[in-house]
Amino acid sequence: MRFVSNLRNVSYSFALALAAAATLGAQVIVIQNANILPVTKPGFKGSVVIENGKIKEMGEKVVVPAGAQVIEANGQYLMPGIIDCHSHIAADAINEGSVSVSSMVGIEDVLNPTDISIYRGLAGGVTSSNILHGSANAIGGKCTLIKMRWGKSASEMVFEGAKPSIKFALGENPKRRGSAGSGPLQGSPGSLRYPATRMGVEDVIRQAFNDAKIYQAKWQEYNAKTAKGEVAIPPRRDLKLEPLVEVLESKRFVHAHSYRADEILMLLRVADDYGFKIRTLQHVLEGYKVAKEIAAHGAGASTFSDWWAYKVEAFDAIPYNAAILTKKGVLTSINSDSADVTRRLNTEAAKAVKYGGLTETEALALITINPAKQLAVDNRVGSIEVGKDADLVLYDKHPLSSYAVAQKVFVDGSMYFDRMKDIEERGKKELVKKQMIDRSKEQERLQQKKMGPPPAGARRPA
Amino acid sequence: MTRRILISMAACAATLVAQADKKAAAPAAAGADNSFFLRNVTVHPVTGPEIAGGAVLVKDGKIAEVGAKLVAPKGVKVVEGKGLHVWPGMINSATQLGLQEISSIRETVDTGEIGTFNPQLRPLIAVNPESEHLPVTRANGITSAMTMPASGGGGGSRSAGTSPLIPGHVSLMHLDGWTWEEMEIKRNAALMIQFPTIETRTFNFMEFTAGRTAFTEAKRFYDRRVKELNDYFDQARNYQKAKAVARPDFRIDLAFEAMLPVLDGKLPVIIPAPDERTIKGAIEFIEKQKLKGILANIGRAGTTLELIKAKNIPVIIGESTDLPEQEDDAYDKNYARAADLHKAGIKFAFGTFDTQFARNLPFQAGIAAGYGLPPAEAVKAVTINAAEIWGIAGEYGSIEKGKWADLILTDGDLLEHKTSVKQMWIKGRAVSLENKHTKMYEKYLARP
Amino acid sequence: MRGLVTFVFALTPILAQAPPPVVAIRNARIVTVSGPAIAKGTVVVRNGLITEVGENVAAPADAWVVDGEGLTVYPGLVDAMGSIGIPEAAPAAAGGFGGGGGGRNAAGALPAPNQAGLPARGPEDRPLTSTWVRAADLVRANERRVEALRNSGFTSAVSFPTGGIFTGQGAVINLAGENGSRMVLDNSAGQFVTLARGGFTAFPGSLMGTLAYIRQVFLDADHYRKAKELYAKAPQGLERPAYDRALEGVLESKRFLMPAVRGYEIDRMIRFAKEMGVPTMFYGLHEGYKAAPLLAKSGSTALVSLKWPEGARDRDPDDVDSMKDLELRENAPSTPAALAKAGVKFALYSDGSESVSRNIRRAIQKGLSTDDALRALTLTPAEIYGVADRIGSIEKGKIANLVVVKGDLFAERPQIQHVFVDGVRYDPPPPAAAAKPEVTQ
Repeated sequence: MRFVSNLRNVSYSFALALAAAATLGAQVIVIQNANILPVTKPGFKGSVVIENGKIKEMGEKVVVPAGAQVIEANGQYLMPGIIDCHSHIAADAINEGSVSVSSMVGIEDVLNPTDISIYRGLAGGVTSSNILHGSANAIGGKCTLIKMRWGKSASEMVFEGAKPSIKFALGENPKRRGSAGSGPLQGSPGSLRYPATRMGVEDVIRQAFNDAKIYQAKWQEYNAKTAKGEVAIPPRRDLKLEPLVEVLESKRFVHAHSYRADEILMLLRVADDYGFKIRTLQHVLEGYKVAKEIAAHGAGASTFSDWWAYKVEAFDAIPYNAAILTKKGVLTSINSDSADVTRRLNTEAAKAVKYGGLTETEALALITINPAKQLAVDNRVGSIEVGKDADLVLYDKHPLSSYAVAQKVFVDGSMYFDRMKDIEERGKKELVKKQMIDRSKEQERLQQKKMGPPPAGARRPA
Repeated sequence: MTRRILISMAACAATLVAQADKKAAAPAAAGADNSFFLRNVTVHPVTGPEIAGGAVLVKDGKIAEVGAKLVAPKGVKVVEGKGLHVWPGMINSATQLGLQEISSIRETVDTGEIGTFNPQLRPLIAVNPESEHLPVTRANGITSAMTMPASGGGGGSRSAGTSPLIPGHVSLMHLDGWTWEEMEIKRNAALMIQFPTIETRTFNFMEFTAGRTAFTEAKRFYDRRVKELNDYFDQARNYQKAKAVARPDFRIDLAFEAMLPVLDGKLPVIIPAPDERTIKGAIEFIEKQKLKGILANIGRAGTTLELIKAKNIPVIIGESTDLPEQEDDAYDKNYARAADLHKAGIKFAFGTFDTQFARNLPFQAGIAAGYGLPPAEAVKAVTINAAEIWGIAGEYGSIEKGKWADLILTDGDLLEHKTSVKQMWIKGRAVSLENKHTKMYEKYLARP
Repeated sequence: MRGLVTFVFALTPILAQAPPPVVAIRNARIVTVSGPAIAKGTVVVRNGLITEVGENVAAPADAWVVDGEGLTVYPGLVDAMGSIGIPEAAPAAAGGFGGGGGGRNAAGALPAPNQAGLPARGPEDRPLTSTWVRAADLVRANERRVEALRNSGFTSAVSFPTGGIFTGQGAVINLAGENGSRMVLDNSAGQFVTLARGGFTAFPGSLMGTLAYIRQVFLDADHYRKAKELYAKAPQGLERPAYDRALEGVLESKRFLMPAVRGYEIDRMIRFAKEMGVPTMFYGLHEGYKAAPLLAKSGSTALVSLKWPEGARDRDPDDVDSMKDLELRENAPSTPAALAKAGVKFALYSDGSESVSRNIRRAIQKGLSTDDALRALTLTPAEIYGVADRIGSIEKGKIANLVVVKGDLFAERPQIQHVFVDGVRYDPPPPAAAAKPEVTQ
């Protein structure tokens, strides 16, 4: 899309304008002369053909279909779009911290597709983000996997067909409200919330699943009765227990915030007892101590590159975590948990080469195919393969280099970020904003003329 | 374990160097071996062009020779650097290393003292040489760091109480030593001033909502704080005069005493200035009080870069990997911050402004280089520029004859994430790169 | 507060003229809203009702005659949403009835019934819920905002209890009467829903929690209804459903009002309401100019706040607003025009704005026709709340709620001469006194 000549008409969000600039998914695009890093296969220099939002063909030589838009990569690096397995962007709320089991709430209800963090993440090569509930409770809320379709509505951002999931949390965060000692609630013991210990965290989870089983049985009983034609009052639908029944029935993934080896092991055993799997352990900073047990359970691990020492449970965190977990057979990813770090997951992954000596392909897998597998969307994204979604990032240098800068980012074959265009349009954006500020000042001047000046020191919400 | 490292003779491979190094766990001791000849290495002097296949001769801890055609003198041990690169040790120009172990645990945090004016405080004497952060940071090639106090009171930086205007001095130290005395480079490297800012945005933690206070009120408070700061400097000058008169009843005041080198312009002040107004205010203050100034964290510098350049004030950049402060900012605004300063001709160095990520200094510089800063300038901003800003460029910050041998040996580009540091010397002594993380790695990698 | 109310009460009888039994306004321009305007005609009011309206209507002999030369008669305006008439129900601290989209807490909310004093543990404690409270039981004729609003041409308002998430049942009221009960036109105007939160420690503590809670309440109400029906058919052998006043209040509600301000919030709440499967109207809607097609497509009814967003007063000159905020401030007044164009049924509400008429004019400047503006302040709100058979237009048989203006109602300084409520004339104070903000807070 081009800017309308009359700037007044372009006062809408420029990011939206950029999104609209995205080439249409239906179009055929060829990215040629790129250093292609498919991640699941060896890298090569060649081209990728995108049609209907999917990768139609790739190879050293491809036939450029008639009418295709050709993007000359000039040896730049094309890799699969980055998948952030742990993010809290694009939502108007993250923590339902009032209760220890908040499985009734869900991120999908509060997605905010206008959060600028989406655009900034895109600009860092991220094409999918797992938006998790916070870690304030042992059993948190439902999570939502999104594609970074900037400019689209909330429902259009949801990664269609992705399996539902829920957040659990162990350790210091869920037990924090069991202490009246710190934070904004200092000195208000009336607001103490069970649990205050890791022991209590286990209890809360077990109790919740016991309740879920009773609930499950009630429905089974009711369904059996009505099947026989008996009159029965249906059980009350319980939004808190329904997601837990889905966990028991393997219809919903569990992503569990965890730090210490003891609590990781605890949760794996609880899951074993109740017959479900932990899909991913998030953070899992001491995962390297129990990698064997994690691998045996079949859980994935999604960790930080090098965060440590910001609290006691992070004091044994080591930047070699991803490398050890990978070497010991755990499906591992590196995530951001941050609107900031999500913008450079490529170099976060590069740290796994430095710390523990993973190969470059293994490092790239930490932010592409591995999180795709963890989220069970590896049939769609996570590598450059024919038939997969054209979620791609073009970097000017090898993506594991400190100096690499994402140039173009595609989701479903549409270009949602173009660094060149972003830079070009900055001047216009500033001008439009200046005009808006001027008009806003004029409006305020008119208003003050009418209303009289505001009283000095007047307090008023924004 | 002996801390002497018998770095093997010419045959020794680089990997062996690294392995040998792991055995050296203890800090350098007096009288330790501090002479060696490093050869077949790519030398990055920083202040001059790189020398492929070069060599560095270190004698008694100092760089004796640097060049392409050096021959190992007799009796000096030889370190083989084939395929490797030698750089000056990096200097992190803003950390809280040694003062803070676990940021959320008050008992392990010694950054924030109570009170508005504490110029007498010196971080160095509170540095814990056994802090796990020191070897962890060292492992990434950082040989020295500035460590600084913070606002707060109650030990940490988040407690209640009015924020200080002068939280104390900042110290410059090596990241190795049995005691903080052995670590010292400059106990008082600058006086830190928390210049007031006008803060109208508020946050109610109980209700978890953002709010705003009236500007008039915030401005009044700001003006009062600026006046308070100026008044304090005036009082210090009065003290200086009284001291010169030296009447018998003159009483030494530790706080004012600590102000004297600042008043004389011998010691710089370092002022974090996050926005245009604070930068202008800080510069006005520096001029008015005739001080030597360093600015830090100038996030929203706006149109003040020219002013900063005109006044020749150096800057410590901390924000280069932070999110842009405002929604409408260019997405790469802070990534490109260093390039902006470079274009404006301002001297700057990088600092991480924290402890847990102090080791990521080279990455911060590397990313800035991706966004327009010439890579050679990025390297300078973690070495020689820092030394110049802190007034130690005569002894540190580059590989030049006569300077202390703070050196690191790497297997690649200094600022690349993938690069490993293979060996480190501080004042010519080999220093261990082993740390809590490498130990835990080896321990658990070996878990059956 | 108490003192102020008493003060206003003392003034009211002075301003209210004693009602003559019959009134005829003749030779006036009559804007009926329901039909074409009458260039010169007569309206006859008897016993509080409109008995005649037209060009060739003679003033009855017993009528007190108002010479309408140069005057225009409009139907009395209807303030489509608020808490007018309910004492102590000043709008919540941050933004009144503007919709908020969920940012604020429920200050002053009713305590959860089961857990008085303790934070709510979950939906089972029915936090912030008082569906059974009826505005009709709370309205008072002497409430301080009634007269101020009436003086600016409003004769009716739709009032809701405040505080909490399900705040209670609304009422359509006339803005004058001997007492509260006499003011009520309809006592079940709908259930007012906010996105309030319980604070840091009490459920729901987040917007997510609030939405989940509302969802659970609707599920519970549905279950309650089914259980009661089954039980009523054959009580033997079935567990007796426990009486639940919160759910009774939900089941008694004809419609639900839910907030949305930003375009994406409107999208969110449209989807949410559809999922809930209850008749819903949306309020706030300042970014409705972006979501008009969505609102039209979903057949939504819209209540637009006339309290256009403004920049904070006394703000930091260096503090630059985001484009998002600047754009909202600039374009919010274009929402009514956008809704009219898209064919969305919408009404306007004053929302405690300090300058209702000026804010209506801003919407008109942004393209809203005066006809559409008038309709959104008269007949449309009457239709929305199912009282169009009685108010909202000048028609024979309807309640005599009229506003008589010298010149045009939407002029720069509208000169309101008379306001009739239930046929009783109330004259606004002279302009000097009215120069103060129309509604004081």
